Amino acid sequence: MSLVAKYLKPEVVRQIRRLDLRAKFIVRGFFQGLHRSPFHGFSVEFSEHRKYTPGDDPKDIDWIVYAKTDKYYVKKFEAETNITGYLTLDLSRSMAYTYRQEVSKWEYAISLAAALCYLMIQQQDPVGLFAFDEKVRSSLRPKSKRTQLGDVLSLLARLQPTGRTDVAASLTQIAGMLRHASLVMVFSDLLGPLEPILEAFYRLRHRGHDVIVFHILDEAEVRFPFDGLVELEDPETGQLVEVDASDFRPTYLEEIQQFRESLGRECARAKIDYVPLDTSMPFDRALSEYLINRSQRS
Amino acid sequence: MTFLNVSLVAGTVFIALPIILHLLLRRRPRRVEFPAIQFVRQRQLPQKRRLRIRHWLLLALRVGLIGLLSLALARPSVIFSGDWVLQEEPVAAALVFDTSVRMEYRHENQTRLEAAKQLATWLLAELPQQSEIAVLSSRAGPVAFEVDRASARERIRRLESSADSQPLPTAISRALELVQQSQQRLREIYIFTDLARSAWPSQSLAQLRPQLEKAFGLSVYLVDVGVPEPKDFGLGGLELPRQILSSRGTLIVQTQVEATGVGGACPVQLELWEEDPKTGQRSWQKREEKLCQLQPGQKEQVVFRLRGLSAGVHQGQVRIVGGDALPANDVRYFTFEVKPPWQLLLVAPDSVHLVPAFVTEALAPREFRLTGQARYDCRLIRQEELSAVDLSQYAALFLLDPQPLEDALWQKLVSYVADGHGLAICLGRNAQPMDSFLTPAAQTLLPAPLQMQVRRPDYDTYLAPADRQHPILGEFRRLSGSVPWDAFPVLCYWQLGELAKGASVIIPYTDGGPALLERVVGKGRVLMITTPLTDHTNQEPWNLLPTGDAWPYLILVNEMAAYLVGAAEQQLNYTVGQTVVMKAEATAGRRSFVITAPDGMTFTAQAEAPANQLVLTPPAVPGNYRVHSGGSPDTGFSVNLPPEHTRLDRLTPEEIDQLLGAKNVRLARSQQEINRHVSLGRVGQELFPFLIGLVACLWGVELLVANRFYKD
Repeated sequence: MSLVAKYLKPEVVRQIRRLDLRAKFIVRGFFQGLHRSPFHGFSVEFSEHRKYTPGDDPKDIDWIVYAKTDKYYVKKFEAETNITGYLTLDLSRSMAYTYRQEVSKWEYAISLAAALCYLMIQQQDPVGLFAFDEKVRSSLRPKSKRTQLGDVLSLLARLQPTGRTDVAASLTQIAGMLRHASLVMVFSDLLGPLEPILEAFYRLRHRGHDVIVFHILDEAEVRFPFDGLVELEDPETGQLVEVDASDFRPTYLEEIQQFRESLGRECARAKIDYVPLDTSMPFDRALSEYLINRSQRS
Repeated sequence: MTFLNVSLVAGTVFIALPIILHLLLRRRPRRVEFPAIQFVRQRQLPQKRRLRIRHWLLLALRVGLIGLLSLALARPSVIFSGDWVLQEEPVAAALVFDTSVRMEYRHENQTRLEAAKQLATWLLAELPQQSEIAVLSSRAGPVAFEVDRASARERIRRLESSADSQPLPTAISRALELVQQSQQRLREIYIFTDLARSAWPSQSLAQLRPQLEKAFGLSVYLVDVGVPEPKDFGLGGLELPRQILSSRGTLIVQTQVEATGVGGACPVQLELWEEDPKTGQRSWQKREEKLCQLQPGQKEQVVFRLRGLSAGVHQGQVRIVGGDALPANDVRYFTFEVKPPWQLLLVAPDSVHLVPAFVTEALAPREFRLTGQARYDCRLIRQEELSAVDLSQYAALFLLDPQPLEDALWQKLVSYVADGHGLAICLGRNAQPMDSFLTPAAQTLLPAPLQMQVRRPDYDTYLAPADRQHPILGEFRRLSGSVPWDAFPVLCYWQLGELAKGASVIIPYTDGGPALLERVVGKGRVLMITTPLTDHTNQEPWNLLPTGDAWPYLILVNEMAAYLVGAAEQQLNYTVGQTVVMKAEATAGRRSFVITAPDGMTFTAQAEAPANQLVLTPPAVPGNYRVHSGGSPDTGFSVNLPPEHTRLDRLTPEEIDQLLGAKNVRLARSQQEINRHVSLGRVGQELFPFLIGLVACLWGVELLVANRFYKD
């Protein structure tokens, strides 16, 4: 493992308390690790003028053209070909789970979201944010200004995963809130019935949104590292299940593998990027996934 | 089932511990938070069932472990009676002693009976307090529990060997009946025996075994006090072909010397109880000695022959010179009577078919006559001379193929027989016309009326003695069925009518018709044979009895003569247990006799007319008995042990198991073995080793299951 890759590991990133620094650390580390940037040529360049239509931001009016032509024209930049990104984070209680008491799924999600936000802001991409549990609890309009990064990060830092979740309902609600085709980046453990969640994804796709699903599970949820007789407690419902972990591990691993595979398969069919992650994985995988998606769109 | 530490059985209450722990204080599994529980729940049901089964399995293992451990520490034993008893519970015990003379076998300066007494005295002290104790010997007699232990001990001390002991299984049966009457739950029979095969006759065993198998709560211990490899020279049964012989005859005494576990030279001598020619005192006079050379297990026949004996009753003994471990079989006793030669009158008609010499030569062979050894003086006369002869001087008369007799002659013969003489009528072709044989006078004498001559030309009819108990058949009895009667066919005989009162058939033919008959007339007896003994073999003979190697004919004629003169019926030698019957001189009224036993004890007995028989209860002491009566010479008889009573060959443990049933008896040889077996029988089979083994196994399984179950 390279030095940079080593520093992109969640347990290293976790050492950085400030979320903005953490985001910078992830992104810069990520780019330093690349020998040749596949994202070369991204810049905010003038593309064309078009007539002003109500609803356009008055700040975008090209006053020089107005002076010459006495008509309102707005400048159309390359940035406008960029997609608006929405960081959609699951606020459920289960996201606060960490087996090794190091990086919880929530911490992993916000670190990743912060890094992506930083990256997008750097490229003048507008970034918005949704945080949901059973419904959307917090949101931030998408902006590409540098101040947006501070807003997003401060909101992320304030959010705490506590309640029960309804991913499907929340995503349906978000789909209704988005007016333009956007890039919806979902950070969730997707614990719940699969069918409604997939339907919510399909709905987003149907409305023209690009979707990247960052399926974040805890390391323990992927590896089931328990032994002997254990009583498992669902943090959201408080439900208890007693199992002989040693005996049950193969069954569980088979089950989780099957779940992720079926999720991946369904997402692929709907042209949704599915990124299975766990809290022991470095962040570069998630970043790569975003940038590949960004590159395809451009 | 019994327990050595009953209180520890209470430890089984601790089996409640795992149940309480399982149900109430059940160890909770480690609780961990786990959001992805939905993946567990879907597949958890089958495993939940498995878990529950494991829980119960573990509980069962732990309960079993504690229960078994408590049980094992209480030292349980299984008693096969099925009852729950305490080790010190009183018992009903019967101590059965084999008191046969064989138990006098001396080894290490102790007889087997003394060894048995010693062991029994020790055992008596070991029996639980309040036990009911009976002491039985193999002699017949009443059986009962002793009043107390001291009287039982005294009874044991007084036990003596005896010659009239019953078979041991009979004594055990009596003991069995006694202990089963007891109220005690534990019943024990101790049998002190040398395990000699002869003590366990198969007939008695066949009766005993079902009794033992049915007996509930009964333990039977065979205490072997015998010597594993006995060493002894012993005499077999004594045989005297003639107990009453003529002064011209030879006394033949034969026996067997048997070596058991020892070999070498064994001198055997014959002694007679007679006056010492020097001192004039009666004492044992050695008459002959034989030296036998024997290998262990070998037998040798010894035959003594004495001649020149004076008239009278003589007694003697055959004994092994020098002592050995078992004196009881070293000596055998005998009594015989010497009489002057008997006078026989043979009457035969003149006939070409008739050869009286067949009979005279059979009774007094020429060689014997010339050497003065013939038992009988035979006089042959013609039938027409009979009326003129004084019959009283003849002990017996033979009518050989008689012709019809006049009534006066029949009357004369009736008087002759009634006076105590013997008459043999050998019917043949001359007995016709048969009217003379059917007269009342003749019918007074003949066992049955003549009917007709029966021809059997097919050579398939011959003498066929069925019951050989008659004295005439005594010699044939010894030959035990090896007499070739079929080689001597009977071609013609007289068929008879209904038997007269007091008549009986001694020998029938193969076709069922009577061949030899007997009838008692007055004090004498009549023998009638329905086919002649003197037929010429070349003149269409009625039978081929005197032809070829005619030894059965010779024996038959001699035995008929001996029976008629009274030499065959008198028995002077008995075995222990036989009733002694002696013919006394005919007197009117009662006559007393004094009998002197071998040990010097005397007792009286009486004979009464008309039987004039002295009948004595079976004597229990072997030896020579003298019978005194005023006015007549002393007589006597001898009593011997049956040879099988002193045979020392032993039963093997396998044979005992086979005969008595392996479950029915326990064999012990020492105090330690008795202790062990009694403990086993009373307390039962200890289960401790088995239970501890089971505990270890359960523990191992429990560890395996628990480790797998609670692995962290």
